[in-house]
Amino acid sequence: MGVIEFHRLSKTYSDVKALDDVSFTVPAGSVTGFLGPNGAGKSTAMRILAGLSRPTSGSATVLGRPYAELERPGYDVGTLLDASAQHPGRTGREVLTLGAMMLGLPRTRVDEVLELVGLTGKEGRRPVGGYSLGMRQRLGIGHALLGRPRALILDEPANGLDPQGIHWMRGLLRDLARSGCAVLLSSHLLHEVEQVADRIVMIGRGRLLAQGTPAELGRGRSLEQTFLELTAAADRGLA
Amino acid sequence: MTTGRIPFPTLLRVETRKLVDTRGSKVITGVLAVLTAGAVVVRGIASGPELHTAAVTAGIVVGILLPVLAILTVTGEWSHRTALTTFTLEPRRGRVWAAKCLPPLVASVLACVFAMLVAAPVTAAVAAAQGVPADWRVALPALAGWTATTVLLTAQGLALGTVLMNAPAAIVVFLSNAVMWSVVARLGSAGEAATQWLDLNTATIPLVNGTMTGGDAARVAVSSLAWIVLPMAAGMVRTMRREVG
Repeated sequence: MGVIEFHRLSKTYSDVKALDDVSFTVPAGSVTGFLGPNGAGKSTAMRILAGLSRPTSGSATVLGRPYAELERPGYDVGTLLDASAQHPGRTGREVLTLGAMMLGLPRTRVDEVLELVGLTGKEGRRPVGGYSLGMRQRLGIGHALLGRPRALILDEPANGLDPQGIHWMRGLLRDLARSGCAVLLSSHLLHEVEQVADRIVMIGRGRLLAQGTPAELGRGRSLEQTFLELTAAADRGLA
Repeated sequence: MTTGRIPFPTLLRVETRKLVDTRGSKVITGVLAVLTAGAVVVRGIASGPELHTAAVTAGIVVGILLPVLAILTVTGEWSHRTALTTFTLEPRRGRVWAAKCLPPLVASVLACVFAMLVAAPVTAAVAAAQGVPADWRVALPALAGWTATTVLLTAQGLALGTVLMNAPAAIVVFLSNAVMWSVVARLGSAGEAATQWLDLNTATIPLVNGTMTGGDAARVAVSSLAWIVLPMAAGMVRTMRREVG
């Protein structure tokens, strides 16, 4: 059984099918790369998973339960859905402090997390409005990790990270998976996920195109070729 | 590991902290305190040493700025899209909203107490400076009514912000209310009646003066229903149903 499970998930906005019968699971101790072009439905699926949006049909669960039924979700699942969604006048440290307060964690956890994501004390005292996108991603990842959750939902966390930042994030996610965490990581760029993901789920136009280990999906060809062919086929299918 | 839901007092502490944890909100709170104290001092000097008059003058400042602060509080999660993180840590949105609405209401009561505390030394000082006896009489019903009115106006701000989910829109509606009703009141007897029953500012005049009758209470109730209860109820439905993106 997966820690995160999507079961026949569909979401329709007026006449657009954002998600069409999507099913897959994210097992404990793995990094699952959720791959698809922009507008494929990745964010929609992750927001439904986090209880922020309602599915038209089907279900998404964390630890076997719909998100809204988790008593204190911050301990079960860490989420980073949009690193830019922050009050610009709040400092990075304050954002983490509010999260720590809600989870009933000591303030020392804020310092630990700042250090873990590589934000200096000085950077932590600056308003988020002055942060680069990469710094916001680090802050968002730190916020997701506050409660040492068993699952992580990260929507495009590599956006805005510099090469060192991406390297750092890969190491962090691998360590987390090794310690048993189930990581769901979305990206529209194959090379961002193929080096860190144990499993890859490809999605296009709201439909699941393929899933498996990078080796299974490549089948001797390059993974990129598979990805491009499948997404092109999905686009043709719609036209 | 801690289990169970986030205790409500914790949510209250978090939402109260959010009122003053940014530069912008610190400025508003500072301006509120300075203007409240300033209004008391100026009125005290102008009207002579009357405790009640000096204190209640602060209500004009508090009655405008606190509802605006309330609007900013309840719309901030949408305008800055922080609802994305707030509702993932506590998916029970009704609890978050209750924790968000209580602090501004409590602050309204505290602001009235603060105005009284400032008014007392001001009254004494003005009496000494002008060489006239201070008037320490305080009409308790009027003082309670004034405090209640301040709380109602803040609640109106919370309700408008919650239903409109947009700070500029809610602030414009709140501030243009008085202008709108002064026009309506001139539209013959029907307009006058509508103003008496539906305008919160008009309906609460007897409350502030401490001269409430049964009919006055009914008018306060009806105007509160129209401007607080109904928009807040509609706003809660919108808040619970809204897709956060």
